[in-house]
Amino acid sequence: MKCAELMEPEITARTPHTNMVRIPTGLLGFEQIKDYVLKTNPEEAPFAWLHVGDDSGLAFVVVDPFIVMPAYLPDIPKVDADFLQLSEPKDALLLSIVTIKDGEQPTTNLKGPIVINRHTHVGKQVIIANAADYSLKHPLPVAAE
Amino acid sequence: MLILSRKIGESIVIDGRIHVKIMRVEGDVVKLGIEAPSSIPVHRQEVYEEIQRNNQQALTKQSTSLPKLTKLPKLAGTVKQVI
Repeated sequence: MKCAELMEPEITARTPHTNMVRIPTGLLGFEQIKDYVLKTNPEEAPFAWLHVGDDSGLAFVVVDPFIVMPAYLPDIPKVDADFLQLSEPKDALLLSIVTIKDGEQPTTNLKGPIVINRHTHVGKQVIIANAADYSLKHPLPVAAE
Repeated sequence: MLILSRKIGESIVIDGRIHVKIMRVEGDVVKLGIEAPSSIPVHRQEVYEEIQRNNQQALTKQSTSLPKLTKLPKLAGTVKQVI
């Protein structure tokens, strides 16, 4: 399934949202963590937070990849679309994980976005079929101070 | 681990539906042709390992301050659906 831009992504919604997200297979390297809380706030767009659903205080910063790269055209493998019960691209919310390190340009992972079914709130980190076309560390354009 | 010897042009079959053929051998590079149903993802192992490492580096605290971005004209515009 070719995922193009999303209709009205929650990440740019006009009001703050908090949604539970279940990732049954976990993120790569964090297979044991399956429950997350997605927090979006228009003041923080295009970023959002994927909080680990416990009291650890840990989280991933995520970004809407279609805003970072308007020409992004991830190809979601059929096995993943089936697993997430996605029947058309607009059922999917895509989030790319952002890496923020002191003194370095922030980057985001366009090879392995988190794909969430907007209706069931079940997600999976998907290695897109055309991963070779995109960067694991796509630089984000930081505004000058 | 099962170890098989194959010549160029020969294949192995996994589970009756995944065919892996030796296409070419150039020095220390072996080119494989893989035929599998579209329901079976095939990726280089490095991709999994890179994403795993990248995730571990990305895990942060909820108090992290977000970078300020520039050059994102789309954020202000209307997001349309294009399929």
